[in-house]
Amino acid sequence: MAIAAESIRPHRSLWTDAIIRLRRNRFAVAGAVIVFLITISAFLVSIFSPYGYDQQDLDAILQGPSKAHPFGTDVLGCDVLTRLLYGARTSLAVGIFAQFIVLVIGIPIGAFSASASSRVDNLIMRFVDVIYAFPDILFIILIRSVLGGSIYMMFLAIGLVAWVNVARLIRGQVLFQKQRDFVIAARAIGASENYITVKHLIPNSLGPVIVAVTFNIPRAIFAEAALSYIGIGVKPPTPSWGTMIRDGYDVIFAASHLVLFPAVAIAVLMLSFTFLGDGLRDALDPRLRR
Amino acid sequence: MTVESILDVDNLTTHFFTQDGLVKAVNGVSYRVAKGETIAMVGESGCGKTVSALSILRLVQEPPGKIVSGRVTFEDVDLLKVSNSEMRRVRGAKIAMVFQEPMTSLNPVLTIGRQVSETLELHQHMGRQAALRETIKLLGMVGIPQAERRVKDYPHHFSGGMRQRVMIAMAIACHPRLLIADEPTTALDATIQAQILELIKNLTRELGTSVILITHNLGIVARYAQRVYVMYAGDIVEHGPAQMVYDKPRHPYTLGLLASVPRLDETRKTRLLSIQGQPPDLIYPPPGCAFKPRCSYGTQCRDEEPELVEVAPGHYCSCQLSRNGKLPW
Amino acid sequence: MHLVPGGPWDQEKQLAPQVVENLNRKYHLDKPLVIQFGSFLWNAVRGDLGVSYSYQDRGVTQILLTGLPITAGLGITAFLIAIIIGIPLGIAAALKQNSTIDYISVLFSTLFANIPGFVLGILCIILFSVTLHLLPTSGWGSIKQVIMPAVALAALPAAYIARVTRASMLEVKRQDYVRTALAKGLASRVVIIRHMLRNALIPVMTIAGPELAALVAGSFIIENLFSIPGIGRLFVQGVQARDYGLIMGIVLFYAFAVAVVNLVVDIMYAVVDPRIRYE
Repeated sequence: MAIAAESIRPHRSLWTDAIIRLRRNRFAVAGAVIVFLITISAFLVSIFSPYGYDQQDLDAILQGPSKAHPFGTDVLGCDVLTRLLYGARTSLAVGIFAQFIVLVIGIPIGAFSASASSRVDNLIMRFVDVIYAFPDILFIILIRSVLGGSIYMMFLAIGLVAWVNVARLIRGQVLFQKQRDFVIAARAIGASENYITVKHLIPNSLGPVIVAVTFNIPRAIFAEAALSYIGIGVKPPTPSWGTMIRDGYDVIFAASHLVLFPAVAIAVLMLSFTFLGDGLRDALDPRLRR
Repeated sequence: MTVESILDVDNLTTHFFTQDGLVKAVNGVSYRVAKGETIAMVGESGCGKTVSALSILRLVQEPPGKIVSGRVTFEDVDLLKVSNSEMRRVRGAKIAMVFQEPMTSLNPVLTIGRQVSETLELHQHMGRQAALRETIKLLGMVGIPQAERRVKDYPHHFSGGMRQRVMIAMAIACHPRLLIADEPTTALDATIQAQILELIKNLTRELGTSVILITHNLGIVARYAQRVYVMYAGDIVEHGPAQMVYDKPRHPYTLGLLASVPRLDETRKTRLLSIQGQPPDLIYPPPGCAFKPRCSYGTQCRDEEPELVEVAPGHYCSCQLSRNGKLPW
Repeated sequence: MHLVPGGPWDQEKQLAPQVVENLNRKYHLDKPLVIQFGSFLWNAVRGDLGVSYSYQDRGVTQILLTGLPITAGLGITAFLIAIIIGIPLGIAAALKQNSTIDYISVLFSTLFANIPGFVLGILCIILFSVTLHLLPTSGWGSIKQVIMPAVALAALPAAYIARVTRASMLEVKRQDYVRTALAKGLASRVVIIRHMLRNALIPVMTIAGPELAALVAGSFIIENLFSIPGIGRLFVQGVQARDYGLIMGIVLFYAFAVAVVNLVVDIMYAVVDPRIRYE
């Protein structure tokens, strides 16, 4: 019970300390703000935009940016800004929801590997290394082509490749806790050893896991865009930045804005999450605490 | 005292301009080394002895350090004023240095043979083969067995003591006139320490090299040096013939240093005394005598700038109490 | 592969069932899955990667070999660009800390390490092809065709390499053995080249292997963007056409290539760092 209290008290001050440090990092704050703005706009676009995302206006095709259409129109006269924001929904959804799969697969495997016999552990880690060495896009394309189908399957495809980081992290944490608590275990009742391990595990691994997930999101966003660009991503009419690039590329010489805006959007969203991740990593690093 | 001096350090001052403030590492320090002589510079860590040695060779990192003033006369030239290329001709060839940490002072990706012979190739313009032969000879001189084979080995194949021997070989390769040994044995086992010091003593005597031996262990000074300088907080507080300083120290700090050295001839009942307190902050040093706050006799002296005064033939001390004969020993 | 609905013969026209059955028998698709996979691996080890279903006249190995020199060329060009830009930039930044070049290096690293080559390629196309009409948007062969895809592919590794090189060089700069070298009277240029570089580049080499692998991955998308007839484009076309043979062959080949690259890097690592040679 004294141990339980010990794991709660530093827990709280770590978070407030982290938030203070995070706020001081201007890039991280900028990243967070941009992510926030894009998310809000993506949510509210259906309310505030005068156009539907597939509302055609054949009198006004391939127009550049104007007052009526701030980002121009596409081949069918649809408003680009509106499509862009709807596409943001797809990107954000894939980026974030794929992480659930990552956690659901990665955490148990990591924990299991650390608790299993060292031969099993080595085997699993070797397997993890192989996946890690392989570039993720290739695997994702492969899995996607095998599984096919809906956007939910895409979460799965991405998640099936990206879990390795989290698994390694959790395994490291569990191993650390196990050998730490070995000492306490001598004094504790046998059955509560696991309880102690878990109790220490959660606050200690929460920080690194958050950082890992935040860094995974831009990769998932990119994966979705790449898959859609190739044609095996989301199916039309679901809007996606990748699809917009693919469709817009055909007329790139006449209307480069159709490709420019989605491409820049991808870069901006990825950069924002990355800066946020950098900031979180520095803020949550216990060694930098004053 | 008309023995020819080969190195004359005159009023050397080196500061470090750091984020936290101006660190006055060396404050107007003066000393000289005579031909063939070994002098010792003694003091606690951080008292400025290493920095003053680095200043001689102009190896102080600038920024944040800077040699602010002073004169270092070597072979009739002020080293602080010569060009960089001139300085490079001096380093390693005429004045050589051996550092404290043998484990990290050698480059791990080059063979030790290469590291020794590059000095020979550079300063004595030897070809590869000739330098290699000379290197093998040097390694033999410093006591490395099977030198012809070991010349191709890398630093991680050697123990700390062996690596220090390699460093010494590197240093004496070009027969320098002055060798600066900065705590050459501090990082080594006690048994090896004596071996290394003996090696330095024998080699330098054979080659006629003068030595500046930097150490915090006053105990070894009497055996290996002719004269000793005691430094504290960037100042020299006492200097003189080694035996004299050792037998009759005049400065309270020197006394404290001696008392903290374990001696074989004392009974075990005598406790090792350490000097109480901490070395002063070099950014905001106390005015006047820097040792006063820690000195057991500090309450008795007046606040004034200490000055080195001759208290016995060749023996100088900056403590006013000692000068005035007010100290009880 | 077989989990995907629809078989490899589903195309625009429907084939007669008897024809389908014959084709299946010819390509052993009627045998149990395990046997199919086993024989595939067996053949692969002997260099025969099977038959492509869409390119009926050529084996997968043959198809790969047509695309390989192109992809390899692109990858190696990009890798060389990344090294030529990244390493000197990192070294210069470390040697002149807090100067302009240091600032530029850090800016470069932060920015380009996070923007995918795909986006960069698009921006380059828009700038150099569409707006300035300087470079072509597709094809492979001339320098003009090579430069954009190679640069777009090289930007990310270059940024990462620059960052690692700079950090490593900074670390080496403050090592004791550098001070020893200076105390021997060596000129700073000699100290940098002979004493510092090899030590500083060791950590850079550890990332070189994975970077090269990641580079080939990035090339998949770039090849599609710039219509370069390399393995990446073949792979994507295979996926779109559900050509299982081609897909499996390429994946296997790729796994093999990654393993070889990592092995090469490990060997080079031992050459550069004598400390690990005897372990």
